[in-house]
Amino acid sequence: MTASRSIVIERRLPHAPDKVWRALTEDALIAQWLMANDFRPEVGHRFTFRAKPMGDWDGTVQCEVLACEPNRLLRYSWTGGAASNKKYGSVLDSTVTWTLMPVDGGTHLKMEHAGFRSPDNDFAYDAMSPGWGRIVKGLERLVAAQAAPA
Amino acid sequence: MAAAPQLNDVMKTLADPTRRAVFERIAREEEITAGALVAGTRVSQPAVSQHLRALREAGLVSERREGRHVHYRVRRQGLKPLVGWLEFYAEFWTERLDKLEQLLSEMDRK
Repeated sequence: MTASRSIVIERRLPHAPDKVWRALTEDALIAQWLMANDFRPEVGHRFTFRAKPMGDWDGTVQCEVLACEPNRLLRYSWTGGAASNKKYGSVLDSTVTWTLMPVDGGTHLKMEHAGFRSPDNDFAYDAMSPGWGRIVKGLERLVAAQAAPA
Repeated sequence: MAAAPQLNDVMKTLADPTRRAVFERIAREEEITAGALVAGTRVSQPAVSQHLRALREAGLVSERREGRHVHYRVRRQGLKPLVGWLEFYAEFWTERLDKLEQLLSEMDRK
């Protein structure tokens, strides 16, 4: 069975939805708060985000615009990572969805990054729920797993 | 400033069972002096010092000097290479959304 987890972050912003939309969809603005990119607000457009490489991952995130409803909803696929690492840096095949809702005096913004799959990221799930102390407890198991020759 | 330690550095540093035990002890105690670490184990003082240096170089512990004592605590972010995408992105998005809010305020002034 493959479980899938999400990260959800919600913020109430004192800015109108059309302005928040601009920050989410204009490449030059996106670059200022997220990453260098070649985004265009068109469904089907493929683009990349370029981040700092980490471990076996070259830092490139491959994306495709899946939904684009101005001032309301934006969704893109988000894939990256390296198959050579079973834990951190394993291949991530996920989606990021931005939902904008007009509220009094601004916008309620919701970001959902979905598709973190077990078992590839088991350790991350363990670490999340009961606090980071579990990370320390899991070290021995993790070190043993990682020490195996590639 | 040296490059941020990568997964391999962290793994190599923690592969030594004695060093890992020292690290876990620091984690349990929140903050502990080198002296107290030595007193609580059968490991010699020079060996503990050597492990502390390795943990510090791997970004896994930080030190704080107070008079003649050096206090050690675990750097949570030092474990970041170990914890996988979910943990990585939880932190990543929080930081980026802070930047987004800042950008939105700056757009007002332009």
